[in-house]
Amino acid sequence: MDWQGQKLAEKLMQIFLVAFAVVAFVVGYALGSFQAMLLIYAGGVLLTALVTVPNWPAFNRHQLSWLDQSEVDRHPRPQAAASQSSKKKTTKQK
Amino acid sequence: MHSFGQRANAIATFSLTILAVICSLASFTDNFNAPSPKAEVKVSNFNWLQKQRNGNDEASLTLNISADLQSLFTWNTKQVFVFLAAEYETPKNALNQISLWDKIISSKDLAKFSIRISNKYRFIDQPQGSNLRGRDYNLTLHWHVMPKTGKMFADKMSMTGFRLPEVYR
Repeated sequence: MDWQGQKLAEKLMQIFLVAFAVVAFVVGYALGSFQAMLLIYAGGVLLTALVTVPNWPAFNRHQLSWLDQSEVDRHPRPQAAASQSSKKKTTKQK
Repeated sequence: MHSFGQRANAIATFSLTILAVICSLASFTDNFNAPSPKAEVKVSNFNWLQKQRNGNDEASLTLNISADLQSLFTWNTKQVFVFLAAEYETPKNALNQISLWDKIISSKDLAKFSIRISNKYRFIDQPQGSNLRGRDYNLTLHWHVMPKTGKMFADKMSMTGFRLPEVYR
């Protein structure tokens, strides 16, 4: 699961659970049935788990594209080299 | 949220938190219910009053109990426990309670009833000896409402003006 997918999964989970809780409470109160409330909510939790827990392809649409290692070798990081040399200089001065 | 286990954990904790919230809300809705229970208890026949061999007095009654406790039931009510107690005062104790009859009402349909029954539990003045002759007593119907979630709630209704006979019979 990529970064965007994780964000989406968490948001979906929260929205689904709260929505199912609201529906379950309203229906349960309207029917006067505590059992109906619990069953609807349990169903909602199960469905939410099915949607957000497995690593579905929908959560992997924003893969980070890392550079190939050969590309890194061809363009070494200039800042890194500079800081290394400066460090060496300071140690020598002391 | 990056692994299966973390997502499963997140959904378990969040869903249980919400479950606690909706259960509290369900319990809260009980406040909107204003119960108006009705009950009437009569002694349809006084069977006997005797002195036991160990000195305690024992009475036997036939009771007419009719009650309509349906208004106690809400969607959050599991059951109602109801019991009838004989209550009287003695020089030793300001309040003596003897449970004569009880019943567990498990649904609203069963909460309206009218029965004629002799006392289910024995009416004995256990620790104080011969104390029952000529004693004034109340018959009090107590009920304990047991909710599915939330706080238990108890109330009672007293019927006064009963008197045990002056002599054993």
